[in-house]
Amino acid sequence: MIRTKELVKVFRTDEVETTALNKVNLEVNEGEFVAVMGPSGCGKSTLLNIVGLLDNPTDGELWFNSTEVSRFSERQRTNMRKANIGFVFQSFNLIDELNVYENVELPLLYLNMPSSERKKKVEAVMDKMKIGHRAKHFPQQLSGGQQQRVAICRAVVTNPKLILADEPTGNLDSANGEEVMNLLTYLNGEGTTIVMVTHSPSDAEKANRIIQLFDGHIVTENVKKLL
Amino acid sequence: MKDLCVPVSGFREEDVAEVQLTLGDRKVKYNFRIESFPWDVEDDLSVFTDDVSRSLARIERLKNAIKNYDKGWELLQIFTPAEDAKHIQVLYRKKGLTES
Repeated sequence: MIRTKELVKVFRTDEVETTALNKVNLEVNEGEFVAVMGPSGCGKSTLLNIVGLLDNPTDGELWFNSTEVSRFSERQRTNMRKANIGFVFQSFNLIDELNVYENVELPLLYLNMPSSERKKKVEAVMDKMKIGHRAKHFPQQLSGGQQQRVAICRAVVTNPKLILADEPTGNLDSANGEEVMNLLTYLNGEGTTIVMVTHSPSDAEKANRIIQLFDGHIVTENVKKLL
Repeated sequence: MKDLCVPVSGFREEDVAEVQLTLGDRKVKYNFRIESFPWDVEDDLSVFTDDVSRSLARIERLKNAIKNYDKGWELLQIFTPAEDAKHIQVLYRKKGLTES
């Protein structure tokens, strides 16, 4: 599903040049649950942003299914993203002015889906994620765990083939974190491919492959489950 | 609770530690090991002295150390080395849980 070849990302300022990713070769197959681990600043989020078409690499190739997308224009990346990828962030990134229902509905509005169809999909996903009773609430009226559940609803409402999760339990206590990890595991069980960046070895153990990133390089990967 | 933090006084970057953990009712034993690999040292890989080459040498050294490590242990986490550290610490867990 995803393949990178010698992927490089360099951030430049007037004085400093930082190589965040250095010739990264990565392959993620459909249906996999892959965890990317490594210390702060090792390039994990940069890799996720590039794989998620939020950013372009400086050099190298990025293949999504059978399409080479590394030189896509902003518009092409947006279209590819909307149709295929859902995002879950550490800080939830919900829109405070919209209620739960409206937050979950947002990606469907961008797809110009008719209202009745949107309603069906939003209600179905909120029921599935057991957040339907909070539909009229605003993000700040919810606990962190509930907000992340809403964010996951928003990520999956378009039935994306791929979910990219950046430290999804980073702002949660262990009980809520466990619940979020169970949701991601459940979605993976249903066939969604998941790539998750995490600092937590416990969370990484939910994945079936763990990649260790260090100073912009993949230094090793464990193919099987740790537990 | 998902993690246990074990304070160890006087634990140096080149030290190797092993911890055996038994979980109550489940009677499961885990063996953890903090391994210490060479990081910023002079060796065959340190041919060049510029920052980029030194950085690449460090990564190559780490990759080789991990690749050649005892296959009975699985890598869990690589810790960030302190500035000017000569060693880098890596957390391993013994493969194959012991249950009784």
